[in-house]
This record gives sequence, structure tokens and C-alpha cells, in this order.
Amino acid sequence: MNMVRLDKQNLDNFIRELSAEYSVYAPGNTGGKTEFIPVESGDEIDFSRTVTDMSPKGIFFPPAEVLFEYDKDGVRAAQTSHRPIAVFGMRSCDARSLVMLDRVFGSAIQMPDDEKFQDPYWKEKYDSSLIFGFACNEPLSTCFCNWFSGGPYNRDGMDVSVVDAGDVYLMEPVSDKGIEIISKLSCLTDASEEDKALLEKMASDAESMMTAPLDVEGLGERLTALFDESIWDEISAKCVNCGACTFSCPTCHCFDMQDEGKGEKGKRVRIWDSCMLPIFTMEASGHNPRALSRDRVRQRVMHKYSYYPENYGEILCTGCGRCVMVCPVNLDIREVLKKFIAYNEQGK
Amino acid sequence: MSEWQPRILAILCNWCSYAGADLAGVSRMQYPPNIRVVRVPCSGRVDPLFIMKSLQAGFDGVLVSGCHPGDCHYISGNYVARRKFAVLKPLLEFIGIEPNRVQFSWISAGEGERFATVVTKITEDVRKLGPSTRLVKKL
Amino acid sequence: MKMINPDDLSKAIKELLTEKKIDLFIGWEKGSLPLSATPLFITSEDEAERAVFDITCGNNLSIYFTKDRKQFADKKVGIAVKGCDARSVVLNTLEKQIDRANVVMVGVPCHGVLDKKKVLAKTDGREVLELIDNGDTVTLIGKGYELSIDRSEILSSSCLACIYPDAQECDIFIGDARAEVPNENRLKEIKEFEALSTEERWANTCAEYEKCIRCYACRNVCPSCYCNVCFVDQNDPGWIGNTCEFTDSMIFHVIRNLHVAGRCVECGACERACPMDINLLLLNRKVAMEVKDRFGDIAGLDINGKPAMVDFKEDEKQDFIMG
Repeated sequence: MNMVRLDKQNLDNFIRELSAEYSVYAPGNTGGKTEFIPVESGDEIDFSRTVTDMSPKGIFFPPAEVLFEYDKDGVRAAQTSHRPIAVFGMRSCDARSLVMLDRVFGSAIQMPDDEKFQDPYWKEKYDSSLIFGFACNEPLSTCFCNWFSGGPYNRDGMDVSVVDAGDVYLMEPVSDKGIEIISKLSCLTDASEEDKALLEKMASDAESMMTAPLDVEGLGERLTALFDESIWDEISAKCVNCGACTFSCPTCHCFDMQDEGKGEKGKRVRIWDSCMLPIFTMEASGHNPRALSRDRVRQRVMHKYSYYPENYGEILCTGCGRCVMVCPVNLDIREVLKKFIAYNEQGK
Repeated sequence: MSEWQPRILAILCNWCSYAGADLAGVSRMQYPPNIRVVRVPCSGRVDPLFIMKSLQAGFDGVLVSGCHPGDCHYISGNYVARRKFAVLKPLLEFIGIEPNRVQFSWISAGEGERFATVVTKITEDVRKLGPSTRLVKKL
Repeated sequence: MKMINPDDLSKAIKELLTEKKIDLFIGWEKGSLPLSATPLFITSEDEAERAVFDITCGNNLSIYFTKDRKQFADKKVGIAVKGCDARSVVLNTLEKQIDRANVVMVGVPCHGVLDKKKVLAKTDGREVLELIDNGDTVTLIGKGYELSIDRSEILSSSCLACIYPDAQECDIFIGDARAEVPNENRLKEIKEFEALSTEERWANTCAEYEKCIRCYACRNVCPSCYCNVCFVDQNDPGWIGNTCEFTDSMIFHVIRNLHVAGRCVECGACERACPMDINLLLLNRKVAMEVKDRFGDIAGLDINGKPAMVDFKEDEKQDFIMG
């Protein structure tokens, strides 16, 4: 399937056409903050920020998701909308994050009885979804997707890749679902050879704007070797252990279950949790295995760069830079990784 | 019977206001039946969180009552409580909670009549405001 | 506007460390982003030159005394303090969290710290690659633009209302410390909000606090929030729900405000830390205003005083009590 083009003037029609079949999400501005919001027209979209303040993970893994409700007549699964979701304008880092989350919620966890664990709430939304990725022509100084085999024009996790080329969006299907939708939509026209050449040039321009990647080969093993070193104290000294990094992260996916009940009815809700908070590991006895800030910072770093890669073969970080931007004490994960690598190379 | 009736939580200190309520009762005084009483050892025991939780649970009004200043069974409990309430009340009004939803009073064990008056007043105040919605948690 | 001379700061730190008056110094250093300085912990005099102080040094460093259950309890600690930070050290001393004898407070002349959201509003969301603090003006440089703006336009709301920019209690001051600085805008924002109707205020409150994602950044950067177990983390029984439901979040913020009533030094660290840009400080400042009006107390000014909410006078105004 070939590349197609969408006139920017036609964006509104495009979104409306897509809305006929899908619930469409796109970056929008909510009180000064950009996040993915449901849209029905092109005017509601805000592409002014390269990286949205909040990641799009909440579309598929909401901050608070009702799993079931109960009353004296019984238990009922939560009401879900069965309209499939389409996301327009998802940056390559965010599209990749969904692939990472899908390994956890969607398919890859091996259960003892030879079944693979599948989270129905995630699958219901993600499997039928359509991701229109959005290449970055102007990566930010906080972007480091190229450290982890990503890049401003990376297409992992996308169904259709979209590139902003001035007056037009150039689109190219990446998956079968992408081919299907492109052939169905009416406001698209075929792209020319010049368009293809332009896209290649833009891609290489964007790549060249990225800072030199850090060598993260074998990072996991290197971190594991440092598990008991005092460098963790140094690293975590300034961390205040709030959850800003984990909640803004597109790949952090730890959750907690809460029951909300009153009288004869109630509901069970799955909410985002954060390994940064002491209560995350608080045991019923009152003992907390990760009582100190150092233990919690280590957990977050190890989960992203050691445990997850050990299980799934890829680092659980897309280099979107949100944690770098929101951290109230500027504990920059890039600096942290550089420190570890330097520490490791010195042979301690 | 379909007319809406306010539900008001009354948090009363054990030594004065609760006894005041008792006196109103044994003296057969009339006052609206809209309050539900919680007895606490002292108004100093009242954490502002109790008041917030009551509003969240759907009470239309909250009355907190303790001993008159100087009469506290624990010498100074109500003085400390007074500072808490002096800050809580303006803060609630500041965020946009109707001023009369949460009220405070001092009622001694001998003031059965005052108890009846206070309960009548808060009931009428809250009735005028209508059902509480602003901090009520909907399930 | 008299800015700090960075050499004076590093010289003072060097001296303290060389003369073994302190084991550790907590200050700020240049951060990895142009809009944020980052906390600095140094133990050797060679590192003293890393310490800076400018418009990006928004963190209230006194939080580190109470982190991880008084981690520095057996150390002599030097700490760089703005006016508000100094009040936090005083307050935490009054509350027996800090042994004043073990702390050397180094005051720095503060002309306010920036609020990132205000900077981004000035640049229409474009990334800032370099910031130059010229004193009265600040230069912002990014891809394809250079802006020179008035300092006051990007200052944190706490700084715009500040009357104690410099430490009133400290051991060393870099430069000349100012006493109370009159500020006609001190209560402006609060009075404006109070002038709205109850309905308008409630609508505003809802719009702000609905944004809360319960990351607790506000609580964790607050020097007055140091409970070992916060009431929102108590789960046996649980006080309030954690499901980001609006009333739960609102109650969390109201109660947190009351917990820091008479203890909040209005440093604004909470508001600057909030990833959702909630105007958290408005409520704190309203409470501080009530505390000042009613009890005559300003948190963290008097090292021989008592925090307002554990104190009382018999004949206090009780206009809110039913007649």
C-alpha cells in the first residue's frame, strides 16, 4: 500500500469521518495542559507541544477504571463502550509504549497452567484500536528515544504513520489495520514521488537533531551488578518520592485495587499506583521492605532498565522525557543512567 | 411525606453539649428531629476530617458543639478546637461550600433550651440551602 | 536589584567545610534543564563551586531534614535558605524535627523564583533552551526566538505575595539581608477570589482540583508535610478513597491545608511541583491569612514561639460560633 496525503484543510473532515466508526482521541489543551482527549472535530486538536504533558496510556489504562459493580442482586462487569478507539497524533515514543504495555496486559505473561494472561479490560480497548502515529520533526532537548532503539520517525506500535509536511499530512499504513482504514477513508489522495523524497529528508533531518545516544547495551546486567552499591544513596538523595514521574510516564503500569462501597452497593476500581510511594510495598504487618527513598528509586530504575528487559527483551522506557520535565527536583533519568555507566566503567 | 428533610450530623462533646441535649430531652423541649448525634469526649477530639467525611457521606449539614470556653472538662480542649474551627470554617466558605452547612456552637449541660434553639436554627438554615451536593461522593 | 555574587556563596560554603563546621552542605546547583536548578549535596570543599542561587532555585531544601526519618540527625548540616526556606527550618526546629545547634543556615538574597507554567505561557509552549537571569529582566532563548521579559511576569505566585524574601533567622547571610519588605499585592489574589460569589468560587475550585492526579508531589515537596504515615496513606481503616474521585481529592487538599495551617511558610514549592498546574497555594495563603488575622501568628518567624495551631488564647475572636 502506498503513501497517501491529507490536506491540512481536510483534517476536520478526516476526524469526522473517522468518528463515524471510532471514538477518536487526539492531543488537546485542557486548562494549559496538553493531554489526549476525545475529539469530534479537527479544531479541538492541539499539536503545539511535541510531547503532551500527560501520556496517552490513560486512554487504554485509565487512572481509575471500574472493573465491576455490585449490589444486593449480584455482581456485574463494568459497563464498557464497545466503540473502538482511534488515536490521532501519537508520537513514536508513545506508540512504542503501548507495545510495551501490551506485553504485560495483553498477552505475554505466562501463567502456570500454560495459559497466557490476558487482561480483558486492556484487550477490549487496545486490540480493536487504531493508532495514527505522528513523527517528530522537532524533537525536544528532553527527548532521548534514540537511546532505546526508538527514534523520531520510528513506527513501532503504529497502524498508520503520519508526518506533518507543511500543508499536508503524509500517511503511510504500517499494519494490516492501517491498510484497511486508509483504503476506506475518502479524503485522502495518493502521494507523489516528491512527497516520498521529502519524507525521507525530513526523517533524516529529525534523526540528526537527536543527541548522541548512550550505549545501553547490557545495561540491565550492569545495574544488577550494582544492586547493593552505595551509589543508589547518592542518586536518590534528592528524590522526594512523589509519583509525578510514574504518573506521567507512558510505560509505568503498576496499579492498585480499591473497593468503593456504600450501603448495599459498591464497585471495584483499578487505579494507578506508584512504586515511589512508601505505601506501595507496605505490608499488613507494618513492615515495609522498601522503607527508604533509596530502595524505591532503585526499584523504579531497575524495573525499567533491568527487570522488564530480562522478561521481555526490551527496556521499559521510550525516552519521551516526561519524567525529566515534571520532576520537582530535576532528578534527570538521563543523568542517572550516565552516572551508572560511568560508575560501572570505573570498575567502582 | 415526600417533602425533603435535611439530615444533619451533630458532633457533641460528652461533658457539656451532649448533656445539654439530654436536658432538652428530659425537659420535653421540642426541636426538629433532623439531627443524628455522635458523642465525642471533647470538641478537641473533632478532627476536621470528621466534618469533611460527613459532608462526603451526604449529610446536608454538620453541627459541632462543645463546652463554653473556660468550661472544658479537659481544661483547654475546646480552646484548641476553636482554633481549628476558626480556620476550617473560612476555608470551607472560601472554596465555595455554603456558609451555613457547617456550624459550631457552645452549649453547656444546663442549656437544654439553647440546645433546642441551636438545633432549630441549623435545621432551618440547612433547609433553606436545600440538599447538599458539593462534596457528596456519588457512587 | 542586588543579585548574589556566586563567589561569595561558594567561599562561605568552602569555609564551613574546611573548618569542619559542617559535614554536609545542601544547596542548589545548575540543573539539567534551563528552568530548573537541582538540589546539591556536598561534603568536600572542592565541590563548593557547584553551588548556585538564581531564579531557578525553587526547591525548599529543608524537606531533606525530615526525609527518610531524619536522615541527617547525627550530622552537622549547612543549608542554603531563601526567606521562606529559613522559616521552614525555624518551624521544623520548633517542632523538634531539627536540632538547630546542628544546622548552619546560609541565607541568600532572594528576588523570587520562577514558575515553569508561567514561563511556558510566555513562550506559547515552545521549549526554552537557555535562561539568563539579568535581575529585573529575564532572557529566554529557544529555537528561533529570544524573549526578554520582566522578572515579575514569571515569578511564582508565592514570590509575588512575599514579604520576607530574605532569611530572618540565619547564621551567615551572603550580602545584606532585608527585614520585612512591604508588599501591597500580598492579599490581592485572595481578596479577588473572596469577592466572587459562593457559586463562582465553587466552580473555580472544582475546575482546579478536578485536575488532581494524586501524585502527592505537593505533599512530598512540602517541608511541613513530614508525617511518617500521611492520613491518605492510612488504610486500616482508610480515611479517604484513592480513586482520583473529585471529592476525595478535594478532601485531601482541604485537610492537607488544615494540617499545615499555621505551619505553612508559603514557599510555593507545592504549586511549582504540581504536574497538573493546580493553583494550590491560594488555599494555603487564605489559611495563613486567617491565622495571621485571628491569632497574630506568621509561621516560622519566631524561633522561640509556638506553632499557632497548638497554642491558644482564652479571649480569641469567635465570630463563627452560633450566637
